[in-house]
Amino acid sequence: MSDTTQMETGRFALNSLKMLLVVGILTLVANSIGPETGFRAGFVESIPGMGLIVLIGLVALLLGRAIPLDLPAFAYAMIIAFALALPFSPVQGPFLGYVERVDFLATTTPILAYAGLSIGLQTGRMKEVSWKLVVVAVFVFFGTYFGSALIAQAVLSAQGLI
Amino acid sequence: MTDDADEPASDRWAPIRTAGRWGVHARTHLTVLAIVVVAELIGEISFPVGPGQVVLLPMLYAVVIGILVTYNVLGRYVDPLRKIVSKDVSRVSSPLLIIALMPLGVKYGTLVAPAFNQLVEAGPAFVLQEFGNLGTILLALPLALALGLKREAIGSAVSIAREPTLGVITDKYGIDSPEGRGVLGTYLTGTVLGTVFFGLLGGFAPATGIHPLALSMACGMGSASMMTACSASLAQTVSSVPEDQILSFAATSNLLTGITGLYMVLLVGLPVITRLYRVLEPVVGRDA
Repeated sequence: MSDTTQMETGRFALNSLKMLLVVGILTLVANSIGPETGFRAGFVESIPGMGLIVLIGLVALLLGRAIPLDLPAFAYAMIIAFALALPFSPVQGPFLGYVERVDFLATTTPILAYAGLSIGLQTGRMKEVSWKLVVVAVFVFFGTYFGSALIAQAVLSAQGLI
Repeated sequence: MTDDADEPASDRWAPIRTAGRWGVHARTHLTVLAIVVVAELIGEISFPVGPGQVVLLPMLYAVVIGILVTYNVLGRYVDPLRKIVSKDVSRVSSPLLIIALMPLGVKYGTLVAPAFNQLVEAGPAFVLQEFGNLGTILLALPLALALGLKREAIGSAVSIAREPTLGVITDKYGIDSPEGRGVLGTYLTGTVLGTVFFGLLGGFAPATGIHPLALSMACGMGSASMMTACSASLAQTVSSVPEDQILSFAATSNLLTGITGLYMVLLVGLPVITRLYRVLEPVVGRDA
């Protein structure tokens, strides 16, 4: 990750902030179209919560660059929000109050739209992958999923948690 | 070093620069806006099929529409589309994906915090289910050999092959080796099909009778988008466990995989699969 041609941090922060604001607007659009469930609120009511999210996102992206742990910025965003939302956090109440107006599912739609567009770069390379490797990959998906699920099931029931 | 050196591969963040690039940014984000509006207007659709349930969430339409409109798929045949959703749009979308994950990361953090005590209680299960990754080897290696694959089988079956695995195998064998071709196959298949696959699996998995909490842990495989598709459709299907708890268990497991994944492949997965390969290849392997 330590690249000598990286853009300098100030410019990275500014460009990231612009992109976070774009993503914020897209997420609020998704949030205001989707079904009214739970605490999901309209576009304007959700702006303060999105402001907080953008701020945390910026810090997380900068930490992802600064800390040489190879953890994705996503993990830092999760950890910061986690710390702010803990019961003994002095800002837990207002923080949760604002952020819960942005629905979980609304945040996923823009992500997957960008993901789909970026996958376009890889679809050409898929032709080099033989059908056999695709079949093996599907078995890998099943194997990792049910391997983990069965172990978790065994341990949770041994502990009497389920 | 200046940041305007024309080396797109050297800095994955370079495409987010806006200076002098307003056109491509406008096209990218307006395309995403259109996809988001269409996907959200279609809304959630779920229907039972056999013992399970098919859950179609807006995120699944978004990834499918996104792939379809790129320069490499429909754009190949439709000239005006290729001019709007150009290759540069796909290039900009690649780092934007990382940025767009930030709101989701924050949401997961707020879901995990209230469930903290339950998560600690389930600690042993979280740690041990990381070994479930080895299930890929037991299931997929014999199949790969039966299909006539040789050393490709090692790279393809060792793990679900997100970035850490890709790194380990490329580092050890080189990307042009048979092992490298194998890992790239699983990696690319996961990139292109993973979200849709796990989005559908999440709706079907409860039909196996495995507890929803165990299934939600299994959703954490080291890919934020696959985990989200998997746990969101699982949460829509299951009513016996609160949605927030399913999402927080999946997110925690995913975070853990993000930390341990590399070592799991390097210290456990790879030694196991290379030994098993030596034993199984003469028995199951056949000439392709």
